[in-house]
Amino acid sequence: MTKRILILAVFLALLAATLWVWRASGLPPLGKPAAAAGGDFTLQSADGPVSLKDLRGKVVLLYFGYTYCPDVCPTSLALIAQALKQMTPAEQARVQVVFVSVDPERDTPQKLKEYIAFFRPGGIGLTGTPEQVAQAAKQYGAVYRKQAVSSAAGYVVDHSSYTYILGPDGTLRGKLLHAATPAEMVREIRTALKS
Amino acid sequence: MKKLTALTFAAILFAPAAWAGGAADSVTAVDPYVRAVPPGQPATGAFMVLQNSDAKAHVLVKADNAASKVTELHGHVNEGGVMKMRPVKQIDLPAKGEAKLQPGGLHVMLIDLKQPLKAGDTVALTLTFEDGSTKEVSAPVRHPAGMMMSH
Repeated sequence: MTKRILILAVFLALLAATLWVWRASGLPPLGKPAAAAGGDFTLQSADGPVSLKDLRGKVVLLYFGYTYCPDVCPTSLALIAQALKQMTPAEQARVQVVFVSVDPERDTPQKLKEYIAFFRPGGIGLTGTPEQVAQAAKQYGAVYRKQAVSSAAGYVVDHSSYTYILGPDGTLRGKLLHAATPAEMVREIRTALKS
Repeated sequence: MKKLTALTFAAILFAPAAWAGGAADSVTAVDPYVRAVPPGQPATGAFMVLQNSDAKAHVLVKADNAASKVTELHGHVNEGGVMKMRPVKQIDLPAKGEAKLQPGGLHVMLIDLKQPLKAGDTVALTLTFEDGSTKEVSAPVRHPAGMMMSH
């Protein structure tokens, strides 16, 4: 019992700290998208061009990452996968995971297709020219930068790690922090599904 | 002269025991695992909680493994929502304390995988500490969506 209270206390403390840092960093809290954020874009998948507006009717979980990402992306995508598994088949059928690569130099559409399928079957992987990817990221306030590191991994791409939630009408409803738990994600997705 | 030779031999014989002991003896790797990755991915992470039962702090300075060509220690810095992964020279193990190697934080990075790692495989890791002592850790490979993440 004490252990559970302790875990809850730590979780609450972490949540409070996260929210504090979030506010301190000037980023809008979940539920209030940044002004003029979101909107449609068209990028390339292994099965042809995909526009966000093609996905209307579903809640879209949009994540900007890259396949060479050693830890952050697998972590976020795994959490998304876990969250979706907690939802009913009917709910899951109305959610679309979209993974946009911030590493268009290395990530090909085919590679992205295989990558996202590993975490979430039916997920869509997208890329384009560096300019197209930059434009899409800008619309959502996602930031990224290639970074040389003294590591055999070559370069890494530092990137913001938010999961953007788009409603069935295509509008940006908010974003989930990198540290969001599957339970939080389920709540936010269900809220978006209701509208 | 013979006594000195005998002592020398004894010293040589017992030296490996000293190497295997030291810091490694005080450190336990709890729940180690390696994350499975999509085929074709060049790198992945190994995670565990390293518990140090010693009254003295120790340091993990190096890791090696059989499944990839290069092994490095890495950590993350979260700067205003931007996740920055960087190599780290060491991982500190406080006295009577622990270091959590978990997704989004510190981890052992396996770079340039020799073959894809599937759930059910096992990876042999060797951890080296500041005094040169080493510890073998056997880490099962787990599929990410099947894992419970704690933050």
